[in-house]
Amino acid sequence: MRLEHTEMKVLALVFVSLIARASTFEELAAQATAAREANKTSQAIELYQQALHLKPAWKEGWWFLGTLSYDGDQYKTGARAFGEFVKLEDTAAAGWAFLGLCEFETGEYEHALQHTRRGIQIGSGLEPGIEQVLRFHEALLLTRLGLFDQAMPRFMPFVRRGLQDPTLISGVGLTALRRALLPKEIPASQQPLITATGQTACLWMAGDTTKTPPAFQALVKDYSSAPGVHYFYASYLLSFRPAEEAVVELRRELELNPRSPDARAMIALLMVRAGTSTTALPFAKQAAEDGPDSPMAQYTYGLILTSNGDLPHAIERLETAERLDPANIEYHMGLAGAYSKAGRHQDARRERSMSIAMAKEHESERE
Amino acid sequence: MTRVVRASLLAMCLALPALPADTCATCHSKEAQSQPHTAMGIGIQLPADQVVLKQHSGLSFQANGYKYVIENKDGVNMYTVSDGTGSLTLPIRYAFGVSSQTFVLEHNGHYYESLVSYYPSAEGLAITMGSERLRPHSLIEAMGREAPDEEIVSCFGCHSSGGVNQGKLTLPSMKPGLDCEHCHSGATAHQEAIAQGKPTHTPKKLGDMPAEDMSEFCGSCHRTWNTVVRMRTWGEVNVRFQPYRLANSKCFLGNDKRISCTACHNPHANLVRDDASYDHNCLACHAKSPSAAAAIQKSCPVSDRNCVSCHMQKVELPGSHSIFTDHQIRIVRAGDRYPN
Repeated sequence: MRLEHTEMKVLALVFVSLIARASTFEELAAQATAAREANKTSQAIELYQQALHLKPAWKEGWWFLGTLSYDGDQYKTGARAFGEFVKLEDTAAAGWAFLGLCEFETGEYEHALQHTRRGIQIGSGLEPGIEQVLRFHEALLLTRLGLFDQAMPRFMPFVRRGLQDPTLISGVGLTALRRALLPKEIPASQQPLITATGQTACLWMAGDTTKTPPAFQALVKDYSSAPGVHYFYASYLLSFRPAEEAVVELRRELELNPRSPDARAMIALLMVRAGTSTTALPFAKQAAEDGPDSPMAQYTYGLILTSNGDLPHAIERLETAERLDPANIEYHMGLAGAYSKAGRHQDARRERSMSIAMAKEHESERE
Repeated sequence: MTRVVRASLLAMCLALPALPADTCATCHSKEAQSQPHTAMGIGIQLPADQVVLKQHSGLSFQANGYKYVIENKDGVNMYTVSDGTGSLTLPIRYAFGVSSQTFVLEHNGHYYESLVSYYPSAEGLAITMGSERLRPHSLIEAMGREAPDEEIVSCFGCHSSGGVNQGKLTLPSMKPGLDCEHCHSGATAHQEAIAQGKPTHTPKKLGDMPAEDMSEFCGSCHRTWNTVVRMRTWGEVNVRFQPYRLANSKCFLGNDKRISCTACHNPHANLVRDDASYDHNCLACHAKSPSAAAAIQKSCPVSDRNCVSCHMQKVELPGSHSIFTDHQIRIVRAGDRYPN
């Protein structure tokens, strides 16, 4: 009789289980520790799993199973182990940190962001090196999830430190071009564009006023038809040139990328700033329709509806923006204003308190 | 009916015969008479109107190893800073404010905020608020802090009319203080149309705005809640930004005009400093009478007089030489720290 693959696996598990029953938890734990200390990673992982089967509340076991799995590139096992570990020890920053890092590798990006942030937030007990790794992964994850406006400031400390790491440059380049990818996912044909954009952005972020203008000019010349380039250039122009010049670039972006919700939303925001909310309305509406998942587009439309007095719809849009990007303080502030105007005072107060707390937190992070 | 007849009838109905095109006072005489004499109406004093400095000519002050003197010479107030070996003298073209005054000085095509200001409470000059920590290394730095274009635009935008157009400084057309059009957008067109007997849209009545809208409107100069949060201005220094403080009050209701800026302050008149004069504003919501439709909030168990003396603390802001009223209305308990 020929056994099927699945049946063989079941038999193997039964066998392992019988062996496990044959040993006590203490014996297995001691064997696991010995295997780990002897750098017998695979054996140690197996023994830890057996021991944990007998005693699932063994925190140390989950921790070592997690770290061994992470070191051995077994991220799925690692994520499960750290997941169990933090259930038992939910104030351990390192547990959350490694859980997030494992999930980053397994592609569970939303959970990875949530958990790396939890690790950073708890903070105490994290080695400085691990904390930096976490913060860098947080920035990469924000970009991967399309939260570009949050990602860029997260890259700032690494850029200011003068790091020349290709992953950093690619991460910054992707963020500047608003491409929701990780550096490892960049198609080879796109790498020169992403690198050139990343280098330009790094010059700007580092405050190099001599090299930044020619770098932008070269970027716009060399990649004039690449989506995202004109939007990025517009963002740069806005920092020191009249808004009209930025609008020209944003319109170029729309010619190349007609359904770019962020470019359209940015034009609408600039119109609002210039005091022409009425003209901005159709732009913002279109942006919100083109970008149901773009927090910026939803926010802009919500903001304009607020100023036009259409509060129920404004609140709907602003709540969407906040749900898509809860860490963006501007969305909380916009919502606070709309709730206040609509007479939802408790909600307004909650959003205001939250905005102040976030602003103070950002400030202490910068310090 | 022809357009001309319609226009004439409109003018007759409104009892508005042809009006001089340069005045809002014909219809709004009370506001037009009082507003130009208020702090907002004056905004900036040009050399000919710098009464305070003229009255106090010969002001002097020393700080950081530099000596400052303001003297009136041939009708122009001159600002001199010296370090014992050299000196720099500039005319004071723009004195910002009415009581306390800070000067905007021009040097080599750049604008500077004077490092010293005039404070009535100090009975003379003192370091300008916000510049206390500056340690000048040259006469120019000692003279003032160079203000970026954006800041200068903002200064003239709030203290003058016509000084800023489409985000750019337009000093040749600048008139000190806020004119009607500054707040009442469309006022000029409205007035000109009436003068010509044409139908016109009445500018929006600002006093009808609920509190949140009003705070945004006044906050464009006095700082909105959002602006203060973006500026990360925490602690007592934000007491100067009334819309921010007010919105943090538990009793702030954004859709209610009883707690709006103009519910308590008449922008066409100078600030009233008598605490009791604001009682009726508080009682509009906190009245004791159960029959009052407005009595929807708790009434004060202590008193129904001088409400603001307890519930709106006076804060002396270090470096400002001024006392501000905290607009975060609250029950203040002994030992409480200044909230955010």
